[in-house]
Amino acid sequence: MSGESAFSGIQDGVGPWISSSRAPADNRLDMDTSAEHLVGAVTAFNALKWGYLSAITGFDSGTAAPSDGHIEVLYHFCRGPSVATFRVKLPREDPSVPSIGPLVPSAVMYERELSETMGVNVAGLPGRKRQFLSDDWPEKVYPLRKDFTMESAAATHAEAPTVGGEDEPGTFIIPIGPQHPALKEPGHFELAVDGEIVTHANIRLGYVHRGIEKGAEDRSWVHNIYLMERICGICSHIHATAYVLGVESLAGVAVPPRAQAVRTIFCELERIHSHLLWLGVAAHQAGFDTLFMYSWRDRETVMDLLEELSGNRVNYSVNLLGGVKYDIVGKAADSIRRGLDFLERRLKRYLKIVTTDESFLRRTRGVGTITFDEANRLGTIGPTARASGVSRDLRVEAPYMAYRDFPVVPVLDSRCDLEARFVVRINELFESCRLTREILNRMPAGELSVPAPRKVPEGEVISRVEAPRGELFYYIRSTGGAKPDRVKVRTPSLCNWAAVLSVAVGHKLADIPMIMVGIDPCFSCNDRSITLRRRGAPGGVPGALEQWSWEDLRQYGIKYYAGGGR
Amino acid sequence: MMQSTLRKVLDKAALWSRINSPWLVHFNSGSCNGCDIEILATLAPRYDLERFGVKLQGSPRHADVLICTGPVTRLARERLLRTYEQMPVPKFVIAVGSCSITGGAFHGCYNIVGDIGDVIPVDVYVPGCPPRPEAIIDGVVQLLTKLKGAVPARARTAETPFGGAE
Amino acid sequence: MNVVLALIALVLFPGGLFVILGSLAFEYADRKLIARFQNRVGPRWFQPLADLVKLLVKEEIVPTGVNRGLFNGLPVAALAASLTAALYVPMAGLAPAWGFRGDLVVTVYLLMMMTLCIGLAGANTLDRFSLIGSTRALTQLFSYEAPFLLALLGPSIAAGTWRISEVNGYARENVWMIVTQPLGFVVALIGLMGKLELPPFDAPEAETEIVSGALTEYSGRGLAFFRLGRDVELLVGLTLISAFYLGGLANPLHFILKTLALLFVTAGLQSLFARLRIDQTVGLWWRAGAVLALVQLLLLIVLKLLGVRL
Repeated sequence: MSGESAFSGIQDGVGPWISSSRAPADNRLDMDTSAEHLVGAVTAFNALKWGYLSAITGFDSGTAAPSDGHIEVLYHFCRGPSVATFRVKLPREDPSVPSIGPLVPSAVMYERELSETMGVNVAGLPGRKRQFLSDDWPEKVYPLRKDFTMESAAATHAEAPTVGGEDEPGTFIIPIGPQHPALKEPGHFELAVDGEIVTHANIRLGYVHRGIEKGAEDRSWVHNIYLMERICGICSHIHATAYVLGVESLAGVAVPPRAQAVRTIFCELERIHSHLLWLGVAAHQAGFDTLFMYSWRDRETVMDLLEELSGNRVNYSVNLLGGVKYDIVGKAADSIRRGLDFLERRLKRYLKIVTTDESFLRRTRGVGTITFDEANRLGTIGPTARASGVSRDLRVEAPYMAYRDFPVVPVLDSRCDLEARFVVRINELFESCRLTREILNRMPAGELSVPAPRKVPEGEVISRVEAPRGELFYYIRSTGGAKPDRVKVRTPSLCNWAAVLSVAVGHKLADIPMIMVGIDPCFSCNDRSITLRRRGAPGGVPGALEQWSWEDLRQYGIKYYAGGGR
Repeated sequence: MMQSTLRKVLDKAALWSRINSPWLVHFNSGSCNGCDIEILATLAPRYDLERFGVKLQGSPRHADVLICTGPVTRLARERLLRTYEQMPVPKFVIAVGSCSITGGAFHGCYNIVGDIGDVIPVDVYVPGCPPRPEAIIDGVVQLLTKLKGAVPARARTAETPFGGAE
Repeated sequence: MNVVLALIALVLFPGGLFVILGSLAFEYADRKLIARFQNRVGPRWFQPLADLVKLLVKEEIVPTGVNRGLFNGLPVAALAASLTAALYVPMAGLAPAWGFRGDLVVTVYLLMMMTLCIGLAGANTLDRFSLIGSTRALTQLFSYEAPFLLALLGPSIAAGTWRISEVNGYARENVWMIVTQPLGFVVALIGLMGKLELPPFDAPEAETEIVSGALTEYSGRGLAFFRLGRDVELLVGLTLISAFYLGGLANPLHFILKTLALLFVTAGLQSLFARLRIDQTVGLWWRAGAVLALVQLLLLIVLKLLGVRL
């Protein structure tokens, strides 16, 4: 599908609302519009049913001097390998756009991030005041602006005293309890329940917000590989891969095929370890700790393989700008084959368990259903989307690296419920095993890397890859220097939260842990607290706020179903 | 005379019990999860920390040792403090991972504190990105060894940072 | 029994200290067996003692708003009840330190105290489950405590007495009642495991949040006492069941062999049965099993009335 025909129809559809357009790359179409015309453009674009909103990027083209440059907001819509972007230029003082949330539900999360970190005023944005930055972050200080300084980010209330160490005898009485009035814990998930049924769900992110995108602007192109790897310890390789693919594209570096093959093998091995990890975590959420133990034990096989290949179990650091560091030959390749054989046997067992075990099915069959249309409307991606019949898999639609020569067979399921999500992920692993074997058998010969320049030419690039959780989106911008001007990362979990929050409403409280874990959110998100607002529940004061921990909610679900699911 | 000998014996018994029964509670202050996965692996059957008397508890109120990862993001900071305060004395802290020491790979990023020791007193740091399960076990053993050598420092709990006891 | 001997029996042997050390030993054996079943190394022999001492010297955090007297008193009451129950069973294979007609009922009641205390402890907090908590404790009583009593009544009826030492004597003379009343045996063992919340019987049809909810409020001495009380109950329960169903306890050797055999079985159930089907099947089985035990009991009574020698 050539770039031109992929975008045909768009220009006509949105013509009146855009001022100019161009194709900076084969698979990209950039359309300039303004804040006034944005809603019109997106409305017309939606009517075309061309693609889904993948990310919203904001960048500051200026420098430390506030009067330079402008703020630009990019709305990236994707369809297969093609990316159609609406671009809005805004002045640095008081940049303002309307929210497109009413048109595209998943936009709300991205717009909030934009408004908090870039300081763009998004008119009509619903929801809580702060999502990504903490409540004590000062007003009008936007970290992604070029004139941001660390001093300006000092907390707005007096620093809490740190705890010192001293010998003291006796016992201390510390007031604790869920009704502690001073407990200003920002609940990570906010749920309103009526009896047993959830009537409203909201989410608070920001616990793992470290400021990496800003940090990337301070590090050289190579240094950033190591930073991007540590966005997530579970899918570290795919992050680094997305980044280097983008930079190599900008720099015009042609990576040798053997290096691409090695990268791909690591990607698939990572997918295996990630899905097995998720299987164990999901089983643990449902109270089936045995399955948790088994799957994590089997996962050690992959960890051993990764260690044998790269020297580290986590953060394998395979990528260079221009290739890879390690080769896969001889003994290592045999180990991989043996490991895959073992895993395939185990996977068959797990598939049987998740599809036939009654107590497991009671918690997954027919629960958390996201219909095909809903999945499309809410912009769901990854295995969650594929379990609803939506065939979104970048390895298939927009093959990159070795996927061009070694095609992936997409794994779909039409049942749309939690059980389908289990089945899809396990079946994907069969596919990963098959693919890895094939690549090993026909590894392209050649070098492992080629040199890459220290300074990357000016330009923008969008790099999209299929992480275990779904589409990973990187936008990288260079102004010709030794450091990136802007790196924007949109992780797959962010895309799927809209779907979860929407499907949570109407379900029982006891189903919520499984529904949330069904999209495979980043593991650390499981450690969050929950604010519950009850209406008419036994033993609960109506309207009172309760603070639960994630563990409380998990136990609640387990006991609910163990008790017969009344 | 009798009293002080009795005191000594009791102290020794108390110390022995703390070294041999360290119960952990785990907290992630914003890390990438790499260390947390390795900590879980440490407690899993392959490495079996129960040999040392270690048990993973769900509530800080049952724990002696807080095993903590991450560079402490701003939002996580208060939760970390509160978790620490909920632990009864005597209590100890193990900080796992390079980012819990200096911020590690995230050093200089705007939303982190960096050093867990700036928020709560840390007894043992385990560097690595992430450290292997064997290294984490070594960290736990180092803590226990440290306890043998000195009277354990008991941390005084500060007044709640939100002011006003209830 | 003169006062000195009585005190020794109460505090040192076969009650008091002996029971405490014995139950710590049993906890060790239980955890070690489970570890080995799971292909792990497991704890060291002194681990339960270290855990106990550690908790005793740890700070106890008292939540605000609770009744201090109840909060501090309930763990003590629970432990005291378990220790008292130990005095009426043939501990160490010797004759029980005390006994009287009907002491079986009293003993089972004392063993029930633990659950009641934990239930009250849960209701005592400002926890969100406070109101629901007390009802759940009662439900647990019906799930496990009542069948446990019924299962112990079987041998008692066969022996024609309410006195534990006499049932023990009867069991020594006759065919092992595990053979003649197999259902009762299973119900008794599982009833004991359910009482003590040992997996996989820790989530029966009644929700048991109250139990774990209560224990999370305790951190130091209180937790130590509750845990020790549970260990003592395990020891006492196993002693009773092996005395009744495994042919009586005539001497210390019998005691060690038979109770450890039962412990092996419970450890096995805890680890090997941890498969996925348990939640549902346990609930169903339990309803069926308890009813059948009741039926068997009635059968026994009828047979006894008809003069059939068992």
